[in-house]
Amino acid sequence: MTVSSAFSRWGFRFLVALAATLLAWLAVPGIGYCQVSMDPPAAGVAMRNCLDCHRRPNLESTEGVRSNQALCLECHAKKECTRQVDGRQVPLRVDLKSFQGSRHQMVACLQCHQDVARSPHRTEAGAQCSSCHGPHGEATVKAPHLRVSCAACHHRGKALAFEAKRGQVVLSRFDDHQRPIGLADHTAPGLGQDVLCQRCHHPGNQVGAAAMVLPAKGVICFLCHNASFSIGSPWFGLALIIMIIGLVLMARFWFQGSVAGGEGSLHQKIADGSETVWRTIFSRRVVGVLKVIFFDVLLQRRLLKESVRRWFFHSLVFLSIMLRLGMSLFTWLVYHVWPQGSLAAALIDKNHPFTAMFNDLTGLCILLGIVLAMVQRLVGPKHVKSEGQDTLALVIIGLMVVAGFVAEGARILMTQVDPQTAVYSFVGYPLSRLWARFSLDWQGIYGYLWYAHALLAALFVAYLPFGKMRHMFTTPLSLLINRDLQ
Amino acid sequence: MKNNQQVTQMVKRFSVLQRTLHWVVMLGFIGLGLTGFSLAYSDQWWGQAVAWLVGGASHLGWVHRACAVATYGAVVVHLLWLAYFKLVLGGRLTGADSMFPTAKDFSDLAAHLKYIFAAGPAPRFGRFSYLEKADYWAVLIGMNTMGITGLVMWFPEWFSSFLPGYLINLAMILHFYEAVLAVAIKFVVHVYTAHLRPEVFPLEKNIFSGYEPIDRLKHERPAQWEALQAAAEGSGGEGVQ
Repeated sequence: MTVSSAFSRWGFRFLVALAATLLAWLAVPGIGYCQVSMDPPAAGVAMRNCLDCHRRPNLESTEGVRSNQALCLECHAKKECTRQVDGRQVPLRVDLKSFQGSRHQMVACLQCHQDVARSPHRTEAGAQCSSCHGPHGEATVKAPHLRVSCAACHHRGKALAFEAKRGQVVLSRFDDHQRPIGLADHTAPGLGQDVLCQRCHHPGNQVGAAAMVLPAKGVICFLCHNASFSIGSPWFGLALIIMIIGLVLMARFWFQGSVAGGEGSLHQKIADGSETVWRTIFSRRVVGVLKVIFFDVLLQRRLLKESVRRWFFHSLVFLSIMLRLGMSLFTWLVYHVWPQGSLAAALIDKNHPFTAMFNDLTGLCILLGIVLAMVQRLVGPKHVKSEGQDTLALVIIGLMVVAGFVAEGARILMTQVDPQTAVYSFVGYPLSRLWARFSLDWQGIYGYLWYAHALLAALFVAYLPFGKMRHMFTTPLSLLINRDLQ
Repeated sequence: MKNNQQVTQMVKRFSVLQRTLHWVVMLGFIGLGLTGFSLAYSDQWWGQAVAWLVGGASHLGWVHRACAVATYGAVVVHLLWLAYFKLVLGGRLTGADSMFPTAKDFSDLAAHLKYIFAAGPAPRFGRFSYLEKADYWAVLIGMNTMGITGLVMWFPEWFSSFLPGYLINLAMILHFYEAVLAVAIKFVVHVYTAHLRPEVFPLEKNIFSGYEPIDRLKHERPAQWEALQAAAEGSGGEGVQ
């Protein structure tokens, strides 16, 4: 055996082995994924420059967006682009056609998939929707759905799972038969509301969602909650219409008398009345008006002079509701001005320690005030003139708050809020522990509990200008008018 | 009233609605000018200072839009009021008591020029002089053109779905130059002709109080005074409210 023949034999074997490896590399997908760009350029194609890949294009420019998309799609447009998960091939192909029809067609891949341009080539954070988009407000979906990841709705994949570690409802990587699913689809599905809501909101869902699709909190809910300037449920709309009719009737009644000492047509009376208001606002008398609003309307000075006990009961209810109204309007403002800020994130999150404690504390204060007033009514001194109407008002508010707490407990139980977070809802969390002792279908019941609370609230709003609670409008007004007459 | 001994007789000039709308347009327009020019001159230190004050350029844009909605809302309310005034109250939208331009306005303009150059007597203005009418129509027409070009820039996708794309650039140019014109008219001409005249310096109060002292009415709007007198004689009632 000569040296040359030995070399040729070993060289031949080496060449065969090399060719086999290369063939396997090319033919068997999944040995290494996205291998195509590593190939030497085909004949006639220019050599690759380092900077073709190793540069960050200006993603604000069309050129940058297109070159970034072209780079990623070199692999991700091909069928062979797959990944091994648990011994199965998961496709990572992005359908260019579906992507170009979408709203994101002029967005670079790197804009959303921020941590993929690295080695190893994979993401830990996923697509970062919130780097551009703020969370939904109350008008779009009921409650901002902070525990639901964007893709759970904005993706074609229908398999969802609750990830307890993050407390998030996410797209599942596995289907019902435990087969891995590729998530490379880039079409944003048409958001026909009900179909998408029912992905989670159906009886027996596994992600802790209510079985019922509940309406958004409408404008009437602002009195106590972060809500939206929408109607919400038709029932809320009905309550709002009844309240407005009541207010108009009340105003008509007022304008039946003489206005500013003058008679005449309604138009003339409104003109005279507004003239008086104008002259009060643009004069030194406005200081007196502001004093009345602050001391007599807000702090209830007159009631305090009459009875400290009654003032205390009344303030527990009134000031708590005023605080909640102020907080819900403040939340609305902050959410609309800085939707992606940390303040908005804290205020719209019902489970945030501050928001949870604020809501439970003010709710408890209202309930305490109602209970004390009821006790006073039943066992109190004789001079408390108790009318059926008064009791009705107290019962409506009291039941509304109780239903609110019951629903809150059920929500905390149903959505599996982490105890370290939930404990700040110091009324709702103990209730949720209590509810946990009853093995009921809480996901099914929650909708009814929510409606019980919401419909009592709608009743409260509709009842405002008619019964006892009419004093919310008449008392401040008569205080202001009497101040001028004195 | 502070001095009860000398109660001056007043004539109502502006209703509460008109006074309120003046406040809204005044504040809205100041806001629009401030934010709009800060956006247009975002390379200047003062533009950046205003942007910083409201929390960035995008907020500047939103404040601008909010002011625009409020100001245009005032125009809409005014037009609704005109419809109510005409259809329900049976009022007249033309004539001496209205903002409708008449031939007298042009002769007043000529007489006023002569008067300024000491070549003739002062023109005898009615309830609204040609200067005040010009102020009114500048806002009414200007707000609509600014509103249309502004909306084109606010919703360019929707407008370019049926209009050619270059109209968006055109809207931007028109919006800017008309803003220069509007600011020049409102902050210079209007402030000078309405507020900085020697008779009322430093401020014309009747747009805020709604009432004008009768002595000034006789002096500044003799034609209106004569009409009031004639009406009072004709009806036998009081011509003065």
